[in-house]
Amino acid sequence: MAARAQVLLCAGGACISSGTDSVKSAFEKELTNHNLTDEIDLITTGCMGMCEVGPTVIIYPEGIFYQKVKPADAKEIVEEHLLKGRVVQRLFYKKPATNELIQAINGIDFFKLQKKIALRNCGVIDPVNINEYIANGGYEALGRALTEMQPVQVVAEVKTSGLRGRGGAGFPTGLKWEAAAKEISKQKYVVCNADEGDPGAFMDRSLLEGDPHSIIEGMAICGFAIGANQGYVYVRAEYPLAIERLSIAINDARKLGLLGKKIFSSKFSFDIEIRMGAGAFVCGEETALMHSIEGKRGEPRPKPPFPAQKGLFDKPTVLNNVETLANIPYIITNGGAEYAKLGTEKSKGTKVFALAGDVNNTGLVEVPMGMPMGSIIFDLGGGIPKDKKFKAVQIGGPSGGCIPQEHLNTPVTYESLPALGAIMGSGGLIVMNEDTCMVDLARYFMEFIAEESCGKCTPCRVGTRIMLDLLNKICAGRATMQDLERLELLANTVGKTSLCGLGQSAPNPVLSTLRYFRHEYLDHINDKKCAAGVCSTMMWAPCVNACPANVNVPAYLGYTKYGRFDDALRVHLRNNPFPSVCGRVCPQWCTVKCRRDDLEGPLAVRAVKRYIGDLREDYRDLYPVKEKPNGKKVAVIGAGPAGLSCAYYLVLLGYDVTVFEKQPEAGGLMRYAIPDYRLPRKVLAKEIHNMEKLGVKIQTNFTIGKDKTLVDLRKDGFESIFVSVGAGRELLPKIGGIDLPGVLPGTKFLERAAKGEQIKVGNDVMVIGGGDAAIDCSRIAQRFGAKNVTIVYRRTRKEMPTNPIEIREAEVEGVKVEFLENLIAIKQSANGRLIATLKKYRLGEFDKSGRRAPEEIPNSDEDREVDTILLAIGHKPDPGSILSGDYENAIKDGTLVASEKTGTTPVEDLFAGGDFVVGPSTVIEAIAAGQHAAKSIDKKLIPGRKEYFWEKFDLPAVDFDPEKEITEALPVEFPMLNATERLISVEVEKTITKEGACREAGRCLRCDYKV
Amino acid sequence: MKSLDELRKIKEDVKKSMEMRSGGQRVKVVIGMGTCGIAAGARDTMKAFMETLDAEKLSDVAVTATGCAGFCEREPVVDVEVHGQKPVRYAKVDGEAVKKIVKQHIIGGNVVQELVFA
Amino acid sequence: MSNCECNTKVCPNPLYEELDKFINSQKRKKGQEILIPVLHKAQELFGYLPIELQEHVAKKLEIPAGEVLGVVTFYHYFTMQPRGRHTINVCMGTACYVRGSKKVMEALTSELKIKTGETTPDRRFSITIQRCFGACGLAPVIMINNDVHGRVTPKKISGILAKYE
Repeated sequence: MAARAQVLLCAGGACISSGTDSVKSAFEKELTNHNLTDEIDLITTGCMGMCEVGPTVIIYPEGIFYQKVKPADAKEIVEEHLLKGRVVQRLFYKKPATNELIQAINGIDFFKLQKKIALRNCGVIDPVNINEYIANGGYEALGRALTEMQPVQVVAEVKTSGLRGRGGAGFPTGLKWEAAAKEISKQKYVVCNADEGDPGAFMDRSLLEGDPHSIIEGMAICGFAIGANQGYVYVRAEYPLAIERLSIAINDARKLGLLGKKIFSSKFSFDIEIRMGAGAFVCGEETALMHSIEGKRGEPRPKPPFPAQKGLFDKPTVLNNVETLANIPYIITNGGAEYAKLGTEKSKGTKVFALAGDVNNTGLVEVPMGMPMGSIIFDLGGGIPKDKKFKAVQIGGPSGGCIPQEHLNTPVTYESLPALGAIMGSGGLIVMNEDTCMVDLARYFMEFIAEESCGKCTPCRVGTRIMLDLLNKICAGRATMQDLERLELLANTVGKTSLCGLGQSAPNPVLSTLRYFRHEYLDHINDKKCAAGVCSTMMWAPCVNACPANVNVPAYLGYTKYGRFDDALRVHLRNNPFPSVCGRVCPQWCTVKCRRDDLEGPLAVRAVKRYIGDLREDYRDLYPVKEKPNGKKVAVIGAGPAGLSCAYYLVLLGYDVTVFEKQPEAGGLMRYAIPDYRLPRKVLAKEIHNMEKLGVKIQTNFTIGKDKTLVDLRKDGFESIFVSVGAGRELLPKIGGIDLPGVLPGTKFLERAAKGEQIKVGNDVMVIGGGDAAIDCSRIAQRFGAKNVTIVYRRTRKEMPTNPIEIREAEVEGVKVEFLENLIAIKQSANGRLIATLKKYRLGEFDKSGRRAPEEIPNSDEDREVDTILLAIGHKPDPGSILSGDYENAIKDGTLVASEKTGTTPVEDLFAGGDFVVGPSTVIEAIAAGQHAAKSIDKKLIPGRKEYFWEKFDLPAVDFDPEKEITEALPVEFPMLNATERLISVEVEKTITKEGACREAGRCLRCDYKV
Repeated sequence: MKSLDELRKIKEDVKKSMEMRSGGQRVKVVIGMGTCGIAAGARDTMKAFMETLDAEKLSDVAVTATGCAGFCEREPVVDVEVHGQKPVRYAKVDGEAVKKIVKQHIIGGNVVQELVFA
Repeated sequence: MSNCECNTKVCPNPLYEELDKFINSQKRKKGQEILIPVLHKAQELFGYLPIELQEHVAKKLEIPAGEVLGVVTFYHYFTMQPRGRHTINVCMGTACYVRGSKKVMEALTSELKIKTGETTPDRRFSITIQRCFGACGLAPVIMINNDVHGRVTPKKISGILAKYE
């Protein structure tokens, strides 16, 4: 028996994590209880795309959409909706802007945002069945035009619609038609430009394949309006299916008398021929296209005369793009005014966009003009795969430009895009994530243009060649700043002096990437570094390039594979003196770029690192060779990862280094913030102890400003000072009640816990914030016996600035995370507990960071009673607390002035790094900062050294056969303790086995190996 | 084509015959056959439908093609419309999926949950 | 082709006859206007456009042979070199490029041991670069003859090639 209703439950990844499974079992139970299992189907589906309000449920046949459904709601839905037919309003989706309740799935933005006019028949009718086109209202517009209208009325209707050319330039279609209609000539032509050359645009192909009759009808209407009886469709040879279907459609139209003589018994005759392109991008330019139809080389000519006066075979001609023509029948049938209701003042109607690149829902969407770019990419496109970071979107192909995250709110119109240095073009949107190098992208487009330049004019032919050479030089790491200047100069010249649109717009990708991503050009030129890991001549291997400290990953994996663990560790210690620490806490920048990810998944680098690090208690014999003492003294302030790393490298270079530390023990945040269930104290102590044996002197319980000032240290003979005291100033919300007992700053709480204090937190603990510190606070609170620990974060899971694995682990241990809420006030309750007032938020417009900014929902306050509130919203550096005397010259407007790359400051003998410079970051970034500062200090104190050992990479001395077949193997997994074992403060993760380490290392594709 | 009336007559006739067809044909299967669909294997999907329907000796199912509906990522996309019910859209329909859709949905009357496009 | 005597009235190569038949079926049977459609047909029949063939076309259409050469060399689609039985077109459109068509190309060239633009010694495959087939939704894409293969990864290459003898 067929079911009378269907309950669709979203089982997309996000909904599952918000509880689809338990909702499903609740529904199963309720349906069984009411004997409805035969009548009602319970169906789990893929992602419905409304992840923010999951778990979501749709009930058919009505299409009612429920959001945030909890197991307890199943009873009400079954009893009210399915039994009595009354919908449950309480669970309706609320429209973010208005709070309007929306019940039907078609009413929701995700589905409603699209408005299909040009694509009205695509995916609906059989494209090669003319009858289905007619059944959907096809050829009615042509019939009405021919029998009920005058040509001038048709032109007027198109002018009223405000339709602009969808091929790129956006010239008003009605004006084009009017100009051609006014010309007096026996012969005129209508040409459909289907030479869809912009890489990344495929709406024309889709229209020709999916609804060819709409193009034929649009062309015939145009022919009637301007007095032409011959049309040409110029299609790319790369679209065989489009050509085939269009040919069938033309023949069918001829058979029915919709093309040919005296159509609809009028005096109007019209026919269409197809002309196939032959692979020349420039033929998309209208004058070049006409030359190509004439059988010539597709070279452009100067305008005027415009095609409307002197076009194909020197006759008046209208050239329209496929999408433009597909809109015409709708405009004639429904009236220009109806069409003009959509869109913005100057950009009317809808536009089809092709979504491609790094976006989840690749494909075609048609939306009213003026929709924000971010909405197209995130609401319709579904965001970026694998939750990678959005970087930019390229619009308009090789003639267009890119739009970075800070402009995601821009409404997409013909006027707004040029202001950002882009153009509408044909509407191809290539979405790019963090793995795209913008210099390489500019190089790619320049290669395209240089190849496609027809050669007729010099600026384009020669200029694009030279620009390509310069870009190749930059990508290869051989360019200077002079090259960049030449590139910019040429870009401007080529744009101003080229003959046709192709040449004039050729420099756009360069100018646009320079405008928004100049720093990437500078990285390539000055640091010979491609952060995206694309420009391969500058990298040893993608993972090495991605690691802030440039640890030679493939080398130590190569040794590990063969069980040569000492050699592996020796390689590691060249670039990072903390193998066991990083084997536990490293966020693994390397694996993000791991090529093995294209197969089964990236290498479990951290697991191997931990294995080889933990093998040895004393590994001093594996350190790089220490140079002879050079007699120079350097002071390091702060014994965190940056300070210790800097001291380590300087000692190896022969310096006499003392590290001054305020706390009783060395380690900084590794000791006093990262909890010991993630990083046991003895592991850290081991690595620091090895360094001390090497010669790093550490003086603890030493406070700068109290025991001595930096000026005192200078007087004591320290020739340079490296400051890395972290980001010590806790940021606190500006709300009432933060001084109440039971309210604690997050880092203070972590520090006290790390010092071994047992803190009474009570049963109910609320943690405010979304970063690592918030997660650590919540898990520590659990370990102090709290029963209900809730993290409150004002954005959503996607925006949390912490590793998703950390969130998952916290949740496994029972921590609850609530999103889109924030603390606005704290009061004391009558019984001595705390009352936290929370306000609800929703996601609003895109902010500068490319994330949707949370905005308050009015009147949504809610009080909660808790025992402890931990405030972990962030912390920042406090340079004033350390720098005094002339060292204060390094502070400007309360902020330290220091280079993130070299650690240098305006004060000659002062260097700085780590969180003290960049704010909260990771251990590996701090280690890298120490490394860079050691180099800067050495360059200043003993100039002349040419090479630093950590900047030199070698292949491991092991067998490697690049020709050997790769056998599939899944990454090794970390053995973990279960949730109950964990709460007794021991390390949650375990070390992998020897076999596991060797096998995992063997998965490395050895990208360092070059034939 | 002589007149608008002639066109409208075709329109009505086709509409009627399309309705009659879905009256006679209990089920309509529409396969997305744009370049994306075909590249993702829509031709094999179409073939699999023909073969499976043949093997199951079903003669009341009409199989037709349409263009790209814009969901290139999830091609081949197939709409299955059982007469009198809302059409169900399936995504990434391969040979195995076709067998399931025919057996479970077209014959059995139950939507194949895991394949539903949503 | 070398034995083709186009100066004589009867052309011994049946492919020439077919080409002439195509030319005669056009609305206009000579002149530059039909040159590109004729060249498309000629390349479809012969696989490439050697000089002798171009001269034949020039003669039939009554246009200068230099004009034909000019057009053939202008458009990427036309080739004067013989191709393999199967042409592998690797899409280097933007979407494919950002989704890793470079890696696909590397895998192809190492699998077939030829470079872009070359043909394997057994004339089985040629590799060429193309700009965007408009199948960006399935990037990265390669087109072998007229078959589009989507979501290609280096891993899938040998399986795809095996289908073409």
